[in-house]
Formats: sequence, structure tokens, C-alpha cells
Amino acid sequence: MKFTITREQLQEGLIAVASTVPTRTTLPVLSNILVEATADGVRLAGTDLDIAVSTVVPAEIEAEGAVTLPAKKLVEIVRELPSAGIHFSASGEQRVTLECGRSRFKLLGIAPDEFPSFPTVSFDNAWKMTSADIQNLISHVVFAASTEESRPILNGVLWEMREDRMRMVATNGHRLARMDIPVSGGAAAADLIVPPKALEQIRKLFGPADEIEVARSDNHLGFRAGSTHIFTRLIEGPYPNYEQVIPRDNDKVVTVDRQALAAAIRRVGVVASDQTHRVRLSFSSGLVKFSVSTPDLGEAEDEIQATYDGEPLEIGFNATYLLELLKVMPTDEVRFTLKAPERAATMEPVGWDDPASYLCLVMPLRLVD
Amino acid sequence: MGRIVILPDAVIDQISAGEVVERPASVVKELIENALDAGATAIEIALEAGGKTSITVSDDGTGMDRDDAVLAIDRHATSKIKSASDLIGVATLGFRGEALAAIASVSKFELETAPDEDDASSEATRLIVEGGRLKDVQQTARRRGTTVRVRRLFFNAPARRKFLRTPATETRATVAAVSVLAFMRLDVSFKLTNDGRSLTDAPRVSALGDRIESLFGRSLAEGLIPVDHHAGNVSVRGFIQRPADAKPTGRKAFLFVNGRPFRDPFVVRAAEAGYRATIHPGSRPTMFLSLGVPGDTVDVNVHPSKLEVRFRDRRFVEATVEEAVRRALGPIGAAAVVGPGADWLPEAAAASTVAGAGYPPSSPEGSRGSAPSLFGVERYAPAHAEFFVADGGFLQIFDTYIVMQTPDGLAIVDQHSAHERVLYEATMSQLNGEGAPSQRLLLPLTVDLEPRELEAVEQNRAQLDAIGFEVEDFGGRSVVIHAVPNPHPRFDARRCFEEVVADFARGRFGGWNNQLERFAATYACRAAIKAGQVLEQREIGTLLRRLFGCELPPHDVHGRPTIVQLPREELERRFGRS
Repeated sequence: MKFTITREQLQEGLIAVASTVPTRTTLPVLSNILVEATADGVRLAGTDLDIAVSTVVPAEIEAEGAVTLPAKKLVEIVRELPSAGIHFSASGEQRVTLECGRSRFKLLGIAPDEFPSFPTVSFDNAWKMTSADIQNLISHVVFAASTEESRPILNGVLWEMREDRMRMVATNGHRLARMDIPVSGGAAAADLIVPPKALEQIRKLFGPADEIEVARSDNHLGFRAGSTHIFTRLIEGPYPNYEQVIPRDNDKVVTVDRQALAAAIRRVGVVASDQTHRVRLSFSSGLVKFSVSTPDLGEAEDEIQATYDGEPLEIGFNATYLLELLKVMPTDEVRFTLKAPERAATMEPVGWDDPASYLCLVMPLRLVD
Repeated sequence: MGRIVILPDAVIDQISAGEVVERPASVVKELIENALDAGATAIEIALEAGGKTSITVSDDGTGMDRDDAVLAIDRHATSKIKSASDLIGVATLGFRGEALAAIASVSKFELETAPDEDDASSEATRLIVEGGRLKDVQQTARRRGTTVRVRRLFFNAPARRKFLRTPATETRATVAAVSVLAFMRLDVSFKLTNDGRSLTDAPRVSALGDRIESLFGRSLAEGLIPVDHHAGNVSVRGFIQRPADAKPTGRKAFLFVNGRPFRDPFVVRAAEAGYRATIHPGSRPTMFLSLGVPGDTVDVNVHPSKLEVRFRDRRFVEATVEEAVRRALGPIGAAAVVGPGADWLPEAAAASTVAGAGYPPSSPEGSRGSAPSLFGVERYAPAHAEFFVADGGFLQIFDTYIVMQTPDGLAIVDQHSAHERVLYEATMSQLNGEGAPSQRLLLPLTVDLEPRELEAVEQNRAQLDAIGFEVEDFGGRSVVIHAVPNPHPRFDARRCFEEVVADFARGRFGGWNNQLERFAATYACRAAIKAGQVLEQREIGTLLRRLFGCELPPHDVHGRPTIVQLPREELERRFGRS
């Protein structure tokens, strides 16, 4: 293996791949990046076995071949090198020399055949979409997925592909986020349950202008944009029937300024219990009142203006959940709909100039008097 | 006529002996008390065959001259009071003047005594008495002090002699009696032998902890927590056993009031009540408690053996003891220590020598009373918050223990036990009416149960509801849970519910009498984060903050410690810096 590559191009490729490399692993080869000189350029690849990323960067290839090199050291070396051509040459499978100007490095690698093979996913019948659409879905939904390990299915994000729309849903059983984006000429319908970590990689690696192809094999999902591929395993199993828990008869509707609502919750939340973060919201004509009372700590009260003309209602929430929703709400005003103190509340953006439709749902905390 | 006669003195002495002298241990006790009242600083007790063959008690106190010695073996002969008015506020151990006469009347008795050497007329006297009859008075030579030898106890009262147990049993009783007295007077050395074998060797010490160590060994002494509490005019000091060391058997309970030993199952029970929810039900913690109460609120002259006392306000005394124990368990200092704890024990012990105010007046100054440095309570009393530094810098090891720095060293916290303590206290206040916030579920949980478990749900429905489980029967063997508690972000509601219900169905924690406490303990155990759970720094910070906000941070609800301390002194000792 022998090739020359510019520092900038190598660095760009390494940044894409290195974020997948696990910091701690029991399998030494996973700490390495696969460097493969092919006719198309240099292919760089990294994986933690759950997610795999590969990308091809242009280079002057003199001899094809492959090695794996320690990711951390390779990234650090390339970062410190001057902006010039870097010459790679391998003697055997495990010894690599890097030369750049007057700098010379010799690195020991691990044989490339120990590197895990990537899942085979055919992109023939791929769904095609813009990166902007995926980013939109990811940034509004993924936060709601569960991080607690008792129900693995809720650790994933449901991605529904339909002919006219795609939808992402995530919930931890206490709150839920759902977003629809209309598509035209979509391919086959499918329900995919995707690990949030993979979606996070998608968000980081693909620019908003990229055209992305998404394809699935049995239990893997592949993303392709240009010469960069991301693969992830899928979570198996039926996703809970979320449709039936989304309330349709919430008759109390409050419109309120997002920033003001978040600020008030943060303020009174200071004295909320570490354990439950419970705040109490009372809605009355034109007004939302906030109160918090924590034994052994103290109390707080606050209020803000709101558009509301329904019956007075008092309801408790986990402040953390509300703040998470408000953080991702895309508009200055939000609409809260409620029914009763023990029923689900929904939150939607008001006046969003986006074809997408977005709904969040949060279950109340029971109030004890 | 002639049917009623005045009993001869010898018979009266024997009857009286029945009250004062029942076995070798009581002889030893009476003789030691006499020695202490004579100002002895070293007392040696030698038994043969557990005291059945002979008992010898020697002291170095003020002896008697010949005339006094002869008088001493008469009934109601005493140097300790002179008139009835002296009875009020009596400060000596004995005062009834019965003991020597009673003992002498039922044994072959020898007394050797010498008054102070600096007394010009000093000479030693030796009396020989048999069955209460003075046989001989001789002049002899000995140094200051008194030696009493009691041979063939009850030789003339075969009925009583029959009731003596085996030498081993009698020896044990004597060891216990000597121990009680040894706790009262740290400034006196005690040696006890049986058939030449040493049973107790307690040198003079200045701290109760040292005496406990010499009587019961180092491992017991190291597992003790200092107690120092007063409320109203009642004070409670001493030591109690760490909950983690308490066992169902082999407990030692030593109680003193104003320096006198007493027995009182209710006070012991009050102390145990203070251990509530820190020990396994059925464990019996060891305790050494010294109560100080004003002399006019306690009556010690209830019985000749003086082991029972009457308190004027018994309920308040018991409440104070319970509170004292509770408070002693709270400070972080009550947590188990790595390495020899003796480094801090004597310091603590100095603060809590047993003898109460003013007893006995003849005792030498300096050995008791003043407390050089109050280690335990005062240093730790202002909440436990001082341990808490920030939301970071904690080390989690084996995904189970948290290591943190404290002002005095390292604390190692068991995350599960710690969280269990936190949740137990929170749950108790929720069950007592504070109520718990309960998270409604978007996707209700359906749980299948066995019949026994369904019954357990029914029995505990009120408590389940109070802590936040909203459970509805679903028909058949299933229940639906609509809302769950949310004690921490990693809480697995289904698993917790199933485990709690299974625990109740299988009768786990059956030993808890109080149903609420039992429920809280079960729930706390099941809801707490488990060992092996990786925690973020912020979560660890929250857990520790809440732990140190608890009433009893160092103990979980099953009698295990939540915290183990590695004191700085121990580190310095190991690195050779001390």
C-alpha cells in the first residue's frame, strides 16, 4: 500500500470516521481506523459494532492495500502536521510510515483482516430524501427517547416510511414527540426502529444540502451520501401503539410565549425537588401560575400572561420534561392543550412556516394535597 | 406462750444473707463495693471452683483497726452513714451495713486488714469467723488494705448450697458482676482469676472505650459509637454498637444511673427503638449507657441488690434514651471505619466515662469527669452537609461504590444501600401523609400476578397508592398500573412493582412489626438503584446530597452500613507519616 494525500482531505475523512471509534473497548481492533487504498481513493472506516461509518477521500494511489491504525494517534498526528502532502507507505500489513515534509512517523497497526466486515445493504430500492428533512426530524424527536434500559424498544426512535410522508416518534413512556414530513413519490412503506446514537451520527456527518439515500437489509439500516456510508443495526420488535394514547379531546387550549414559559419554569424549578422536579401549573383566564413546594427546602411562585379562556385547571408536571419540549419547539409561541389533571397534555408550535407537523405530549405528575 | 421468740442474731443474719448473698457473684459484688468505698485503686479477686470452694477479694484501700474490724462483722455496722438523715443522697455503694455480717454468717470467713501505714497505732488484724461466730482475732502483718477470704459458702445452709450451679456458671456470673463494677470505676484496676486462670485483667484507664476493650476485646470496642445527649435534666452518655455489628445473640447491655449499675428491660427496649430501621429486626445491639438524672428523681434503694431503680418520670427517661441512640447513629462518625478504630475511640470515650456527677466523693480526682476533647457529637452535629463539596470529583468503583473526600479522610459509599436509606426516609414521610408525586404513564403497564401476589397488592393498596403506584384490577390475574413513582431517572417501575409485590407475597421482611416501616423498607430496597449501575457525576452528587440530608445516613435498613470510612489518620499511619 502506497499513496499520497493532502492533510486537509485526510483530516476531513478522519473526523467523519473517528467519532464512531469507541474510547473503551475489549476488542483492540475497534480502536483502529481501517485505511484502505483503492482505485477510487482512500477509504477510511471505523465502527463500534453498533454503528459503522466509512468514507472515501481522493488521493494519489501508487499501490493498493489496507492497514488499520490507532485512531486516536492518527488523528493527533494529522492535526499537528503542516498543510502539505502526506505520504503513506506500508511495509507488510502492520508497519506504516507517514512522511510529510521533513516529519516522519512509523506506526504499528493491526492486520486489516481482523477488522469487522461491514453489513451489506443494497441501495437499489433506497428511499431518497434531503439531509435537511432528516435533520429536522432528528433534532425535534430523538430527545424524547428513553435512556433507561428496562424497555429496550423505547430506547429506539420509530421511523415510519409511507408513500406521502415520513414520521419519527420517540417516547420514554412519560412524554412523547412526533413529527411528520410530507414526501412525494416515497418508496415502500416500512417501520424502522433506529438507535438514537446512529441518528446523532447522521446529524453530525451530513450537511444540510446532502441528498441522502436510506436502505435497509434484514436488521441493518444504511445511509449513503456521496462516498460516505453509515450503517446501524435496527432495534427489533413492535413499537407500542402510540396513536391510541395521543389525546384527541383535549378541550382546554392555552397559547403562551415559549421563552416566557421556559423562563418561569426554570425559575421556580430551582426549588423543585431533585427527585421529581415537580412544578404545579394553574391555568385561569389569561394567566398561568406556577408554584413549587418542596418539603425541607421551600416554595416558589410565579406567573405569566397567556391566552386562555377555559375553566380553571391545576396540573403538575416534571419541570425537566416541559423544559426539554420547550427547548425544541421551533416557534416563539406554543399551544398547550389539556383535559384534566390526570390526562395527557399536548404541545404544538404556533405559526410554524414549515410543511412538517409537530406534536409533543407529556403526562402529568399527580398532585397530592 | 413460748410460741413466739425473738430470733437469735445468727439466724437473723442468715435470713438477711438470703437477700444479700445468693451466690458467689453477689459475695464478690458486696466485697468489691466495700473495697471501692474504702478508696481502693486495685482490686484482685481470686475464685476457686467458681467461688464454691473459696472467694478471695483483696484491695489496697483504707483498712480497719482491730476494734472496727470486730465491729464490722456485726449486722448494721457501717462506716458509711451515721443516722437516717445520711440516707438521703447516699453516695457510697453500700450503706445498709448488712453485707459482711451476712456473708460471715454463711461461710468460713477470714478478714485481714491494715489501716494506713502513717497511722502510728497501725497494726494489721486478722479475724476468723465461722458461720457468723467469731472464732479468733489475731495480730498479723500486711500492707495497707483489706483481704477477705470466704470459704465454703453456705456450708451451714445446705438448702442454699444445693442451689449453686456448676463452677463454670457461677464463674460467668461473677465475671458479669465484676464487669459492671469495672465500668463504674475506670480509675481502679480489676483482676479476676478462677483456679489461677486469669479471666479479667482491667488496668486503670481514663476512657470508657479502653475499659470496654480490656473487658470485651478490641473488636467489640472498635465497633462502638459514642452517645452523648441530654434533654431536660436527663443526660445519656456512653457507647452503642454499630448497627452493622449487632447480632441476634450475645448482646451486652450495661446501664448505669448516676454511676450505679441497674437493670431495666424498658430502658434497653427504648434504646433498641432508637435503632429502628437500621438493624435487622431481631438483632440485639450491645450498649453501654450511663444516665445522669437529678438525685431526687430516681430511687435506687428499691432492693438490697440495688439492681432495680425507680424513675419518677420513666417515660421521659425512656424517650431521652431513644433519642440519644437515634442521634448517635446519625453522624457520619457512626459509619464503619477501615483500619484500627482505636485511634479515635479513646478520644471519644474520654467524653463519656460512665460515672455520673458526684459519685463517689472519695474517688481520686483527675481520672474521670473532664472531657479533653469532644470528638463525636459536637463535631458532627451541624447537619452532614459539610461533607458535600460539589457536583463532581467523585469516583465510582466497580459501578457500585462511590469514593469521596471528607474533612477527615475518605468515605466509601455503597450506592444501593445509600439510596435505600434515602428512599426509606422519603417513603416514610410519604406514607405518613406527605404524599408522593406520581408520574402518569402514557403506556400503562399490565402486570400478571399470582393469586398470592394479588392478595399482597390488595393488602398494601393504601401504601402503594400513597407512594404513587396507581393500580387497577384488570380482571383475572392482571393489574394495570396507570401511574408510578419516579424516585430517580433510572427507575424501572415494572420491575420494582413486581419485586415489591413478590416480597410481600413471600413474607420477606416478616420481622418488621410496623406495617408502614415494613412497606417502606421493602419499597426502598426494591426501588433503589442497584449495584452495578453506572452513575453520572451529577447523579452521584444528588444521591450524596440526599444521603447526608437524611436522619441516619450511615446505616441502611437491613443493618448494613452505607458508608465505610478510611480516616486520614489511618492513611497517614500506613504511609508512615504519623
